[in-house]
Amino acid sequence: MSTGIRGFYPRTITVIAVIVLALAFALNGARVAVWSALLPLFEWMETTPPGVLGQTWGAAFAALQAVHLLGMALLGGSVLVSDGRLLNVLFRDVPTDLVLRACHRLFVWSVSLCVLTGVFMACGVAVKVYYLEVFWYKMLALAVGVAFVFFIRRPLLRDHPDAISPGLRRLLASASLMIWFSVAATGRWIGFSG
Amino acid sequence: MNQLLYDFALWLDAQSWSTQLHESFYMYNWVESTHVLALMISLGMLFIIDLRMLGLTLTEVPFATLARRLNLPMLLGFGVMIATGLLLFYAIPVRTTQSLWFRFKLVLLLAAALNAWLFHRRMLAAGCQGGNGWDRAAMAPATLRRGAALSIVFWVLIVLCGRLIAYDWFDCNREPGELVATLAGCIHGQTHY
Repeated sequence: MSTGIRGFYPRTITVIAVIVLALAFALNGARVAVWSALLPLFEWMETTPPGVLGQTWGAAFAALQAVHLLGMALLGGSVLVSDGRLLNVLFRDVPTDLVLRACHRLFVWSVSLCVLTGVFMACGVAVKVYYLEVFWYKMLALAVGVAFVFFIRRPLLRDHPDAISPGLRRLLASASLMIWFSVAATGRWIGFSG
Repeated sequence: MNQLLYDFALWLDAQSWSTQLHESFYMYNWVESTHVLALMISLGMLFIIDLRMLGLTLTEVPFATLARRLNLPMLLGFGVMIATGLLLFYAIPVRTTQSLWFRFKLVLLLAAALNAWLFHRRMLAAGCQGGNGWDRAAMAPATLRRGAALSIVFWVLIVLCGRLIAYDWFDCNREPGELVATLAGCIHGQTHY
């Protein structure tokens, strides 16, 4: 436990520093400059084989969307089960570390599947999503979600999750549910925007 | 039969609420988003149960415990998915009734439901409540593993068909070939699509 706690504070400082830097980036002109500089990348994405495939073969695009949805379902399952355990509403009689370990493996597989299919899908409609504000919200939510899991949640809970205070466990689970709901909701929003 | 379904769809289409739901940008998208997000709950839980059966996750958790804990959220998710699915059908009844993918999806849903029922019966027959010890084994007996694998296959196909409903390749107004027109239930001389 002591190792976990010692590791916790430098990570907290790092996360706060990243948030401050992100806010500074968002509030000055650099954000627009970076966004403009990214346009050639998105234009190039449409010319790549996945981009061409996505634009010309609707069935392939639909199949990718279906796999993306299945990845989301698995991601939802792993997040709900692990956060349900942390909130003490699911698997109360099963050791927390056992549930978290298994769910983390599922999470890594499912998020990898979602990212992979997501990149392929984005290639087909790259310039369109580039101009969609909600696409960037989704990317932001996804980046926050992945950073939250690997730099905050996982290090805190990896070794002795039962030694963490119940309040902190509930806080972690609630934050996780909200972040992943935001990722899924902004993804749906892309579907009916533009 | 197709004529009957078409007439029923026309009757639904004539309801003012159907039109209002279809034409409401926010309401329709809320319903559709809820349908998809409920999938994350129901299918997420179902996949975890199936993967446990196949010995691919949570192998240390007794199967009966896992199924008991996840059944309620899974059924709640399915309930929301069915309710929102019916609303989506109600919003666009004629095109959906004559969608080839929707028809495939319904058949697959029935097959998945039958598989789930058989799976449950076999599970009880195999003494899942700890009767013969496999409840704590890493992997379920072969007959149940087949049921779990089939369940995953059915749901992958259901999700795929659900996505394909959005595409109009085989819609009746595009005058598809005879086989597709028969399977989709296109009516000769129909004016509403």
